[in-house]
Amino acid sequence: MTLAAMLLLVAMGFGAGGFGALAGVGGGIIITPLLAIYFGLPMHQAIGVTLLCVIATSTATSSMYVERHVTDVRLGMTLELATTVGALIAALLAHHINRRTLAVLFVCFLLYSAGSMIKKAWDSRHAKRQEVIPDYTPQNYPVGLAASLIAGGFSGLLGIGGGPIKVPVMLLFMKVPLRVAAATSNFMIGVTAGTSAYVYWGRGDIRVDIAAPLVAGVFAGSLLGARISPKIRPVYILMLLVSIAGWLAAQMIYKLLTGGFQ
Amino acid sequence: MNRQDFAVDRVLSHTLKFGAYTAFMLTVAGLALQLVAPWGVKVTTVGLLVLLATPVLRIIAACLQFLHERDFKYALVAFGVLAIVALAYVLGIQA
Repeated sequence: MTLAAMLLLVAMGFGAGGFGALAGVGGGIIITPLLAIYFGLPMHQAIGVTLLCVIATSTATSSMYVERHVTDVRLGMTLELATTVGALIAALLAHHINRRTLAVLFVCFLLYSAGSMIKKAWDSRHAKRQEVIPDYTPQNYPVGLAASLIAGGFSGLLGIGGGPIKVPVMLLFMKVPLRVAAATSNFMIGVTAGTSAYVYWGRGDIRVDIAAPLVAGVFAGSLLGARISPKIRPVYILMLLVSIAGWLAAQMIYKLLTGGFQ
Repeated sequence: MNRQDFAVDRVLSHTLKFGAYTAFMLTVAGLALQLVAPWGVKVTTVGLLVLLATPVLRIIAACLQFLHERDFKYALVAFGVLAIVALAYVLGIQA
């Protein structure tokens, strides 16, 4: 690989990790399509590399959220029982799903994520920051576990973290405060993505030459982003990410319609 | 929920930080070495393997901490997660 390509990947990882940590969303959703569209990676390889980036973001940022006691470690590990099962099944199935179908599924999830980022930006207009986390007891474990199974499945299939599925369910059905739900979802992602990453790695779908510079960038970006995130308002970053996601979805749809992703 | 119990938070954040910084430094060092020596890619690969191992390390750390606190219910939960991840590892090798 040329030095220029390596630096480009580092910069991409830095941007995705940094903006992701600043806005409180995973950067995975934009890395896969960038790799598939602009680096010509087959979907399975793009997803495998993204899984490593997602583990990097989760590890770097959740070390801080756990330290600040925002993460509910016990709730997270309970739900991991379901996310890992979903991730394992999906990672084993992913190989038997053809690339175009994967690309179609990915576009659907990309659009759903863009929608949930728009909602997040809209809600954050008049949200006051919760400085003190209110007391709560997680409710409705069966619903939470079911949602985690599905989120884990999407993670193993598409290389993403599945935050947009888990966070609303924890908030609405399990009655967990938003900040705790977001931090706990983020905490779970490392183990969930790790589970499917083992399968992808064993199959040779994780390219070290592409993954290493990206991971280095993601680490630097998300460590920095998580450090300064309490000081900024995420609205503009969310809108930027929505625009990028929209653009990438359009590119992927165009490529699908013109017979790409074979 | 037991918010006064912060010991497990401390253990886990140390484990995650250790994994994150080790993987980051090895990966960056490997990438830099790669420019001058071909074996640099091995250092990079080790960095990525440390990254892959970190989630497992933090499950083991949590399991041990729960056992230490005699919180057997959550020690069992952690062990269950570990078993599923181990299964993925075994199936991954065969895939």
